[in-house]
Amino acid sequence: MDILHSIFYGFSVGIEPTNLLFCFLGVLVGTLIGVLPGIGPIGTISILLPLTFRISPVSAIIMLAGVYYGSMYGGSTTSILVNIPGEAASVVTCLDGYEMAKQGRAGPALGIAAFGSFIAGTLGIVGLMFVAAPLAELGLRFGPPEYFSVILFGMTLITYLSHGSVINALIMGAFGIILSCVGIDPIHGSPRMTFNTMQLWDGVDLVPIAMGLFGVSEILINVEQTENLEILKTKIKSFFPTAADWIKSKGAILRGTLLGFLLGVLPGGNPIIASFLSYGLEKRISKEPEKFGRGAIEGVAGPESANNSCTSGAFVPLFTLGIPSNAAMALMFGALLIHGIRPGPFLLKDHPDLFWGVISSMYIGNVMLLILNLPLIPMWVQVLKVPRRILYPIIILFCIIGSYCVKNNIFDVVTMIIFGILGYLFKKFEYESAPLILAFVLGPMLELNLRQSLILSNGSFLIFFKRPISAVIIIISLIFIASSLISLFLKRKKRNIQGELIK
Amino acid sequence: MDLRDLLSGLFWLVISGFVCLESTRLGTGTLDYPGAGFIPFWSGVILGILAILVIVRGGLKRKGERRITDLWTGVRWGKVIWILFSLFLYCLLLPTIGYIITTFGLMVFLLYVMDRSKVWIVAVSASIIILVSYLGFHILLDAKLPKGVFGF
Repeated sequence: MDILHSIFYGFSVGIEPTNLLFCFLGVLVGTLIGVLPGIGPIGTISILLPLTFRISPVSAIIMLAGVYYGSMYGGSTTSILVNIPGEAASVVTCLDGYEMAKQGRAGPALGIAAFGSFIAGTLGIVGLMFVAAPLAELGLRFGPPEYFSVILFGMTLITYLSHGSVINALIMGAFGIILSCVGIDPIHGSPRMTFNTMQLWDGVDLVPIAMGLFGVSEILINVEQTENLEILKTKIKSFFPTAADWIKSKGAILRGTLLGFLLGVLPGGNPIIASFLSYGLEKRISKEPEKFGRGAIEGVAGPESANNSCTSGAFVPLFTLGIPSNAAMALMFGALLIHGIRPGPFLLKDHPDLFWGVISSMYIGNVMLLILNLPLIPMWVQVLKVPRRILYPIIILFCIIGSYCVKNNIFDVVTMIIFGILGYLFKKFEYESAPLILAFVLGPMLELNLRQSLILSNGSFLIFFKRPISAVIIIISLIFIASSLISLFLKRKKRNIQGELIK
Repeated sequence: MDLRDLLSGLFWLVISGFVCLESTRLGTGTLDYPGAGFIPFWSGVILGILAILVIVRGGLKRKGERRITDLWTGVRWGKVIWILFSLFLYCLLLPTIGYIITTFGLMVFLLYVMDRSKVWIVAVSASIIILVSYLGFHILLDAKLPKGVFGF
């Protein structure tokens, strides 16, 4: 009954005209950046972040959340029609979605991606509603050792689940923590690594770093490339999958929904990983695995469902424990702090309008997205034809304005450019930026909770093992670290054996 | 030998060394009362260890040699240099000249660098972008854009 009352209250917040407008803006922009390859949801959220300073926190988070889950819908359009993912979580959709389009089945592919996303998004929101309150209750029992353990687990999982080298991901995590230390020490009040620069006393700001790493660097990488987009010339007769398509896809949609949601809840999980794991799972359990990569509809339904339910799940640790589970949530965390709201176990009690308002807006947003993504596909195809030479300078301008408006200081624009160069070089040398941004956001919390724990225990690290919740989480983190190292060692051994066999 | 790993490992080792030195100057404190340099120091140590692992990894790679220059082969890296140069120049001029003129100049330059269209197309496109951005950010959203000596 309580949840029902809360949902009705949430809808009373969500259907306010201002919130409806921002929800629509968010999902529209999200679909747009999902459709357009080049800039992803993280870069867009970082660009829009300063613009939210002048609106209410509820509207701000509604809009930013809309950008995030909206981009998951839009990404599949480009994957299916152009064989280029609109954003990273739709990479896997290219494999079977484009094949379906080549076979004249672009409509059902687009349809199952949209319907699967809608079902998964809706079920994910239901999960968020029911999991959040009990987890928030558990969060009230958390002290500094528990918070430190959960944050450490999140950082461990990010490196375990990163695409590239684990060592490179750990390096970025360590660098992120170091960057987060720049500024005034929170306990002693002494300046750290400020190089006698007054602008660094407040530390390096999240917005210029995020815009540089995800916005500017992406533009620089894309500008170098010479390939052009070629849209598949195919007639889309109907977006509705056939009965046979639904029979094949229903299992994939439900499994993708559950997998995506669970990964979203875990610190470190993100829609990209969710979509890859879902594809792998569907291929493994399929009776016809040879059809994957040749137009298997389950290869579209599963990943697209997983990446959407993951976005709902990702709000669980953010709202209930105050721990962002991935880079996009790290920016949402930053947005909440900017508005003076501390996410965590008290959020449900202190800001029920925010929590339930965002949940109800996600229901509304999912309906809007279904309408935006099916009948308006021809419009999105036209958008794909906008020359990139026009788009890129506009994105750079947005990044400049966004960075400048943080403190009306040109120093932040220079910071953004420097991080743009770093992000560009990181991509070249195969270092992912996501672990850096997550570590940067979690770093201050990690440091504060570690130092408080050590003060409480008079310097003994055993405090993390004496408290049961903390102990369990630390042990799981150590298992993940050990498993990564063992896997690395076994891969190397296998490579050496193969190398010797070839000789 | 992987020169990319060697170079990047060296970069991180230098960063690590600097951070550890700076943290020692701040004071790492004790375990029961960690100082301001405690977390940066240990993060720097971890970074240093990982940097050494990257250098070792780069040194051990036998199959083929990945050259640094390969990263910029077959791509239009000149455009990147021009874009960065224009952005830094923009930052230098923006506080003095103001948003409208400086940004117009930047947009013209970027549009021309991206694709060498006719001058009038570039000028018109840049003007539209400036107008929309000024109306949207400064007027509608009340963003405080720098005015410079000309007052706009």
